[in-house]
Amino acid sequence: MDATPAVRLDGVSKQFADSYAVHRLDLDIEAGHFYSLLGPSGCGKTTTLRMIGGFSDPTEGSVLLAGEDVTGLPPNRRNVNTVFQSYALFDHLSIADNVGFGLKRRGVARAEIRQRVGEMLELVQLAGFADRRPRTLSGGQRQRVALARALVNRPAVLLLDEPLAALDLKLRRQMQVELKQIQREVGITFVFVTHDQDEALTMSDRIAVMNEGRIEQCGTPEDIYEHPATRFVASFMGTSNLMTGTYRDGEVALEKGPALPVGTRSDIADGSAVSVSVRPEKIWLSDFEPGMSMLSGVIRETVYSGPTTTYLIELAPGLTLSVLEQNTARARMEDRWSGGETVEFGWRPEHCLVLA
Amino acid sequence: MTLVRMPSATAPASPTSRTRARRARAHRRPRVLIAVTGLFFALLYLPIAVVALFSFNSQKSLTVFDGFSLRWYRAFVHDDVLIASLGTSLRISLVAMAGSVILGVALALGLVRCRTRLGSLAGLVMLVPLITPEIVTGVASMLLFKGLGVPLSTATVMLAEITFSISYVTVILRSRVAALNPEVEEAAMDLGATRWQAVRLVTLPALLPAVLASAVLIFALVFDDFVLAYFTTGVDPQPLSVRIYSAIRFGVQPTINAVGTLMLAGSIALIALALFIPRLFGRRGGLDILSGK
Repeated sequence: MDATPAVRLDGVSKQFADSYAVHRLDLDIEAGHFYSLLGPSGCGKTTTLRMIGGFSDPTEGSVLLAGEDVTGLPPNRRNVNTVFQSYALFDHLSIADNVGFGLKRRGVARAEIRQRVGEMLELVQLAGFADRRPRTLSGGQRQRVALARALVNRPAVLLLDEPLAALDLKLRRQMQVELKQIQREVGITFVFVTHDQDEALTMSDRIAVMNEGRIEQCGTPEDIYEHPATRFVASFMGTSNLMTGTYRDGEVALEKGPALPVGTRSDIADGSAVSVSVRPEKIWLSDFEPGMSMLSGVIRETVYSGPTTTYLIELAPGLTLSVLEQNTARARMEDRWSGGETVEFGWRPEHCLVLA
Repeated sequence: MTLVRMPSATAPASPTSRTRARRARAHRRPRVLIAVTGLFFALLYLPIAVVALFSFNSQKSLTVFDGFSLRWYRAFVHDDVLIASLGTSLRISLVAMAGSVILGVALALGLVRCRTRLGSLAGLVMLVPLITPEIVTGVASMLLFKGLGVPLSTATVMLAEITFSISYVTVILRSRVAALNPEVEEAAMDLGATRWQAVRLVTLPALLPAVLASAVLIFALVFDDFVLAYFTTGVDPQPLSVRIYSAIRFGVQPTINAVGTLMLAGSIALIALALFIPRLFGRRGGLDILSGK
């Protein structure tokens, strides 16, 4: 595979009136990757996607596709296609004509259009629907048509703007798997915009977490989840126990609790205010190992939810940690604790992250 | 003193059944309303019905119906001046329809998408012709053409009618354009269409029912129009409505009844078509304003 990134954003900004929707964004997307832009609404992820697609021009910086500067080119002159959030199907055309629209624009021979449209409808499991109108299809089917209509053009990059947002949960899960399979099959770079962190974690090769027009962190799903670089990422990706305190000599003295050993950090000056994050599932309630950071607290609440139980443990007044435990065979609810009991708990030092 | 007299054999009316009876009586259509409505429709349509009836009279009389005949229709067909006027009216209507639909659709697209202060001002100004008395528009148009030194002719009628009709087209199309999903046009461009191709291949087909409906409406309105045509037409051949008016000044000829009946039939057919077109496309169309839905 070629080392030139499929998409490169070089210092890209988008300014509306006096505020930035996207601020000096640098981003490389490797060819063949399933790349997610993840963030809360208003974080600039859709604006970023629209600038890659050519629907919106950056006020600053440049957009490169496969090494070529396409800043300012209209969408019809970029080798990318988009799956819109509303699907944006052409209601007056049949499914086959919808899917064949792009090929026809490019002057592909009619016989070839028919063949490629047929193959693509096969791929998205809509083979029998060629002559139907979009209006007669269900939401999931329309979504597949939108996907087929974009993919049939064999773009270098496929842009997807929250394509699953309008589907119900069950269909959404099913489409997540299908979308990932299709991406592997066709080998096209997908840039996928979503606000759903589960969706991003399950589908992506790489994730860029965005907030307020900037990228907070990019990396593999595991990187992002296990090693959040910022407080925002730690709280946006799953649940985190975030505690504030002051760093000094390899320890963080919590504002409301004890000092936690976090290992020596040469990049953090003594006396700086930091946040500490520990994931609920990284906190152990038994079978402790040597070298763990051990604490004790009072169980305030237990929330049973089938495969797991969540304990809310008060470490100090005003400081409650959430602890997630698997309900494995060894543990039944009545074997464990109830409210008011004092318990010991601990974590491996590497699971306690210091966020500047 | 009960409001409802119950038959003596039944038990006395319970309060609930009594209120129900009172309510039922209130809902019974009062005869006076039926009469008023009937009178309204009679005043509205009887003269027209008389015209239609006497167009088939075998005699010249406008008071005594003698017997059924197509005599006056034959007379109309052989009246070169009236036929020439009919041709002029048809040409004016077709040109005004095409011109105002093209400009009106463009204006509707522009007004919806141009979100500046000037744009919304234009949107308001656009409505003025709808509330201006037509005679004012007519006199103003005439004065404008005179002032510019343009001789009045069929062409000046066409121009005046186009100007007057654009607002109707725009009013009908505007809500349709606003209801379009902007992503659809973007999708067309994403798939390789230029901006113009996207409008032609995606936006216009989506607007087609409303466009056709407004075209038919404009044709009917312009064909029937008298006031604007009267002030802006040249000498010969005059539009049919103006010709009929001139003819009536020298006494009503039964031929005019035949022409009137034909125009009425044509207009009804066109309006019906305009209401029916959107249904052809299986969706709500552009004339909701007219049909009141």
